Amino acid sequence: MSQIELDVRNLKVSFSTPQGNFLAVNGINFQLRSGETLALVGESGCGKTVSALSILRLLPTPPAKITSGEIIYSNKDLLTLNAKQMREIRGKEIAMIFQDPMTSLNPVLTIGEQLIETLLRHKSINRKEALKISAQLLGKVELPSPEDKLKQFPHQLSGGMRQRVMIAMALACEPKILIADEPTTALDVLIQAQILELLENLKKENGMSMLLITHDLGVVTEIAERVMVMYAGEGVETGATKDLLDNPHHPYTKGLISSRPHLGSAREKGQRLTEISGSVPTPHQRPTGCAFHPRCDWSTEQCKVQKPLLENTNQNRQFSCHLQPGSI
Amino acid sequence: MTDNHPFLEVRNLKKHFPPRKIILENNTALVRAVDGISFILKEGETLGLVGESGCGKSTAARTLLRLEPPTSGSVHFKGKNLASLSEAELRSQRKEMQMIFQDPFSSINPRRKIGDVLREPFAIHGSKENVSEAVMGLLDQVGLSSDYVNRYSHEMSGGQLQRVGIARAIALNPTLVVADEPVSALDVSIQAQIINLLMDLREKMEIAFLFISHDMSVVEYFCDRVAVMYLGKIVEIASSEEIYKKPAHPYTEALLNAVPGVESGQIKQKIKVRGDIPDPSNPPQGCSFHTRCPIKEKQCEEMEPTLKEIAPGHHVACFLREG
Repeated sequence: MSQIELDVRNLKVSFSTPQGNFLAVNGINFQLRSGETLALVGESGCGKTVSALSILRLLPTPPAKITSGEIIYSNKDLLTLNAKQMREIRGKEIAMIFQDPMTSLNPVLTIGEQLIETLLRHKSINRKEALKISAQLLGKVELPSPEDKLKQFPHQLSGGMRQRVMIAMALACEPKILIADEPTTALDVLIQAQILELLENLKKENGMSMLLITHDLGVVTEIAERVMVMYAGEGVETGATKDLLDNPHHPYTKGLISSRPHLGSAREKGQRLTEISGSVPTPHQRPTGCAFHPRCDWSTEQCKVQKPLLENTNQNRQFSCHLQPGSI
Repeated sequence: MTDNHPFLEVRNLKKHFPPRKIILENNTALVRAVDGISFILKEGETLGLVGESGCGKSTAARTLLRLEPPTSGSVHFKGKNLASLSEAELRSQRKEMQMIFQDPFSSINPRRKIGDVLREPFAIHGSKENVSEAVMGLLDQVGLSSDYVNRYSHEMSGGQLQRVGIARAIALNPTLVVADEPVSALDVSIQAQIINLLMDLREKMEIAFLFISHDMSVVEYFCDRVAVMYLGKIVEIASSEEIYKKPAHPYTEALLNAVPGVESGQIKQKIKVRGDIPDPSNPPQGCSFHTRCPIKEKQCEEMEPTLKEIAPGHHVACFLREG
């Protein structure tokens, strides 16, 4: 097995709100191996973005608080580093791209100004050299006429171009790990395909590992080697992408897969989609036992009272459900 | 409905927006958001309108319902030209033509109770004696319990609120519903619930749908026919079976190829598209897709293709695929 680049152990993140404290992330564990793409998949509010932001310690504290856990990166626990040590890692070793490239770029600075900021922060080079590298980076993310783009402002670029700028910025210091939070959700399907291909190529070229956060199982199949499915702040199933999608062990994973219409699936006129009943619980009203039991077709009395533990079926597969694999 | 009139006929509909005055920028080009689209919708039929953002699909829908005055062209609904109707006549016509919006949080008034939101269609059209009963019936039809009448929108989830949006649209028994990306803002597990609900209502109430979406798999699932739009024009229109099995326009093919997912491997010919959708105020000469088309030829840059029928009911606007 390849080397482990990032090891997240028993991470818990709580938020204090006027309605009281709640756990947005409730003890998740995952390992990102060197050179792989791991996808965190789930619906809004499942804690996938909060998990990603905790890695870079980008959560506003308060209201957020990391209450327990370890995030091990190159033999250091990121949660114990001070602000200065953290700045050395952020952007340089671990970089991040965000969902909405319009709001994550500064509208009053040119693309060039924003790109050289990272370079000047982490490398001992002057402005002129930084601008030259920036132009190369824009070329690398396949933006046409990169020199001109350096002088332009974000509003002059399309959504797809802005996301390319974000990627160039994230790659500026050749990070070991790229965290991509819904990188294509705001983009059209044709542009999405281009950006996914670009990310895949750059990952191979730079030998990066990627933590991909998405709600779209389609995107997962395109670029992720492994997947962790999250529900209500917990990882409910982890495994190799193909294996997990072909043979889901957790009822929620199965529900997610079958509730999406597949392109080209034989359609019977008037045939209904398989749906997951109910909706995601609010963090304040977390169900007892297994958090998924009110929506689960297979739930039993046991599920209402006893929380299933994450079990290993074999080396590469984990899931948390009282049912035996293969029984759904 | 008289037999010789189609249920809904859109003829060469255009909507051009005047240029926005931007300080220091000499911008005089019209934005041709919808640039001459024509189609017919039969009673009870569902037509999908697909394309990337900025292709004009939402403007087409709004113009068709006369929420925006069209620049030119006509829309005949059950034989009546909507453009010739007075405000009052149009208003009474709207009973039959309703719309469901993408984002329920911005299309439902946050200061009003759900019950009041649902009472409004009856108040406007002055129908029904027992409105409260009708509102309860509506909630039941969309799968919400009756205690929601006293709630406000912020007390509800996106999926529940979209059900309210649907209830409002079906309140007056419309025969045509325009649904503009009704599930795009919702979570995956909720999308399936809403699509199933729309399918049930369609069957029960015999509603014709114009279903606007960018999601090719949802459209395949829900629609009888599909029209693909690019830069304000329809470039291909056919039955959904036909369009998904034998896409003719390279743009349609690219859209289908770009759908990420398990089954995407089955479309063999890989057509990939580079670059962005061009600026609709400055569309390319000739075929508007030629700047991104991987198979374009010289004639595509010079002449504009028109829709030609290549199989019964299958129209495509492409020189290379019309033969």
